[in-house]
Amino acid sequence: MIRPAGPAVTLRGVTVRFGRREALRELSLEISAGEFVALTGPNGSGKTTLLRTILGFLEPASGSVALWGAPARGLTPRQRARRVAWVPQQEVPRDNLPVRDYVLFGRYAHLAPFAGESATDRARARAALDAVGLADRGDSGVLELSGGERQRVLLARALAQESPLLLLDEPTAHLDIGHELDLLERVRRLVTERGGAVLAAMHDLNLAARYADRIVVLSRGRLVEDGPAERVLSEALLREVWGVAAELRRDPRSGHPYLVPRLPGDLPRPRATGSRGPVHVVGGGGAAAPVLRRLVDHGYRVTAGALHLLDSDAQAADDLGIVYAAEVPFAPLGDRVRQETRRLLAGARAVVVSPAVFGPSNVANLEELPGIAARIPLFLLGGVPGPDRDFTGGRARALVEQLGREGAIAVADPAALLAELDARLAAPAGAEARPAPRAAAAPDP
Amino acid sequence: MTAPSVRPGGGGPTARRWTGVAVAGGGALLVLLSPLVGSVAIPAGEVAAILLHGLTGGALAADPCPSTVSARLCGAYTEIVWDSRVPEILLAVIAGAALGLSGGTLQGIFRNPLADPYLLGLSAGGTLGASLLFSLGIGAAEANLALPLFAFAGAALTGLLLLAASRLLGGSVETLLLTGVALASLLSAMLSVLLLYNPQGGLQVDFWLLGGLGDASWTVDGIAFGGVLAAASLLLLYGRELNLLQLGTEVAQSLGVATGSVRHRTLLLASLATAMAVAFTGIIGFVGLVSPHIVRRLVGSDYRKVLPASALVGGLFLLAANDLAVGLFPAIVLPVGIFTSFAGAPFFLYLLYRRRRDAAGDAA
Repeated sequence: MIRPAGPAVTLRGVTVRFGRREALRELSLEISAGEFVALTGPNGSGKTTLLRTILGFLEPASGSVALWGAPARGLTPRQRARRVAWVPQQEVPRDNLPVRDYVLFGRYAHLAPFAGESATDRARARAALDAVGLADRGDSGVLELSGGERQRVLLARALAQESPLLLLDEPTAHLDIGHELDLLERVRRLVTERGGAVLAAMHDLNLAARYADRIVVLSRGRLVEDGPAERVLSEALLREVWGVAAELRRDPRSGHPYLVPRLPGDLPRPRATGSRGPVHVVGGGGAAAPVLRRLVDHGYRVTAGALHLLDSDAQAADDLGIVYAAEVPFAPLGDRVRQETRRLLAGARAVVVSPAVFGPSNVANLEELPGIAARIPLFLLGGVPGPDRDFTGGRARALVEQLGREGAIAVADPAALLAELDARLAAPAGAEARPAPRAAAAPDP
Repeated sequence: MTAPSVRPGGGGPTARRWTGVAVAGGGALLVLLSPLVGSVAIPAGEVAAILLHGLTGGALAADPCPSTVSARLCGAYTEIVWDSRVPEILLAVIAGAALGLSGGTLQGIFRNPLADPYLLGLSAGGTLGASLLFSLGIGAAEANLALPLFAFAGAALTGLLLLAASRLLGGSVETLLLTGVALASLLSAMLSVLLLYNPQGGLQVDFWLLGGLGDASWTVDGIAFGGVLAAASLLLLYGRELNLLQLGTEVAQSLGVATGSVRHRTLLLASLATAMAVAFTGIIGFVGLVSPHIVRRLVGSDYRKVLPASALVGGLFLLAANDLAVGLFPAIVLPVGIFTSFAGAPFFLYLLYRRRRDAAGDAA
């Protein structure tokens, strides 16, 4: 293993753009030899972008990347490959090559141009295969291996590359728990304990806390935390970055911190006892929480959904005792949940669309809304979703625009919403409503 | 993903060896028997004697036509066999090898099992380049050296355009094919305009658009052979890089492959091989698609074996097609490209169908 001078990676003020979107903003990070650093953050926070930038697949718009003291820009692919190796999240081989040949690919950066592999190269590849416990599978075809074995072959290929920095992109995403622990254990032993460095994008914070010397947390392309697990992991961080309520505990034997997500069933105090409404709120990702709170405080009965369990709006709804249609995390809305949503909508006297981010998993909420504005007041908070809130390829935007044409009422903020709501719901029923002052900003579309 | 039950290449090592022997034997037989095929029936003994005489420079079979009474007939036979049939056989093998080599390389560069110099428009680009030379008014005789250069320029430009387009449009197999097909028909249209309104006249549209071996001569064969040999030798140096590219651009890059320059260089070499064929034969389709597929069944997926083997199979394939064209319709000169398309187009459809079926199987 060649070990050039300097820290394994030095990023200074790195910004990476995809079109106008900034995937990484002013990111600075240094990893030293012997360190195992876990890279965490919610989906879309920039973990993979960071790895791809270090690997040279992406060129930063500004800032600099250095590998073992050398500016990455000036390195040829071969030189770079001798400094940093990569284990991709998943690689589906096209040809059923023998495992041995697959691992031998890792030696490419060490071959002289147009030269073949030497006995040394073959020995190194064999040793790498041995190190991941697959010494006896050299003759098997890669397509005949199980998912866990194939992931270990990728690790062996990276080990054969003998680069002192190893990047792992959610290496355990497709593994069961046993193989997950096994792989991380091997990485620890084979790289960091021999003076190399590891940067691993990981979803599982508990695994990160257990294996990493440091945890780096990204949120929306920014580095928000960097330090040992005991310092970085906190209930506040989980709530702010992931929008998840969790409890931080400590492993009594190892002392490692670990997190236990709070499930809706664990929650106390339902108090959605308002007498007016009900008002149904469409949200997700925390966009609806302030509205939910104000509506409840204002004496409205509130329904919501569909929301995903563990989503921060779902947490808020649980806290407030709001009835909502619930789907399991990250899944598209199922038929049962959509039916439940429709039932809640049918019972509502007004509907509020909060300025949520719409993606494939929750756009179905908007699909339930066309036609409703003819029956009951429909309020749009935050206007038409732009590219920063619409990840459905324009579907969400089109739906909201349609709602606007059908007579939905645009409101600028929760205060304006309450004013409009009070005025409109009070009109027929009369007696109970407080006379609300007319809000400053309540333009019709 | 359904795990294929067969090992790379299909069949065990023994079965593969026997298939290899069969291909080699069949190929040798094909080359030996081809001089017998032609519009004029010449007795086999005469053909053998003429070949022996020619190959040994007269050291063996000093009299090329022992059984022929008339010296005039012997002269005519010799001319037909030695100066027409043999150069045509050689050109078939060389051009077929060039197309097979080019197809194998393109399939590697684009990671696309349906890539082929004909389908992707390289052949049309090369032919357009070559015919441009003619429309400049340079006669066929002086053009033997300049032709492949112009064809190379045309093919290489088309290839680079395609590479840029594939980067821009993303890497799906179908997108690349459709881009290539669109490019090919655009270039063919330009070619047709050039050929039909050629101020010099005398150019055969069907020859260039459908491909033929009628221009074969010892000189042409020599030039084409030199070019194809150069392209093949250089391409073999990139076999390992092509293997690594099959893992995906980013993985290859992370392992140290300069993916951009490897793609450009191998594409230029594939263009060179294509140019050597189309400059002298016009557009012959599907040889480059079919040969690598046959080869992969025999030698597996290692490009260091796939490329030379594709050249060999491509040469034999085109020779067989030409023998069929000449043997079945001796009275008319049917362009050999018609025959390769008769075999190649259904094969292409079969490959498309199999991809769809596999994709459906994966989804299920």
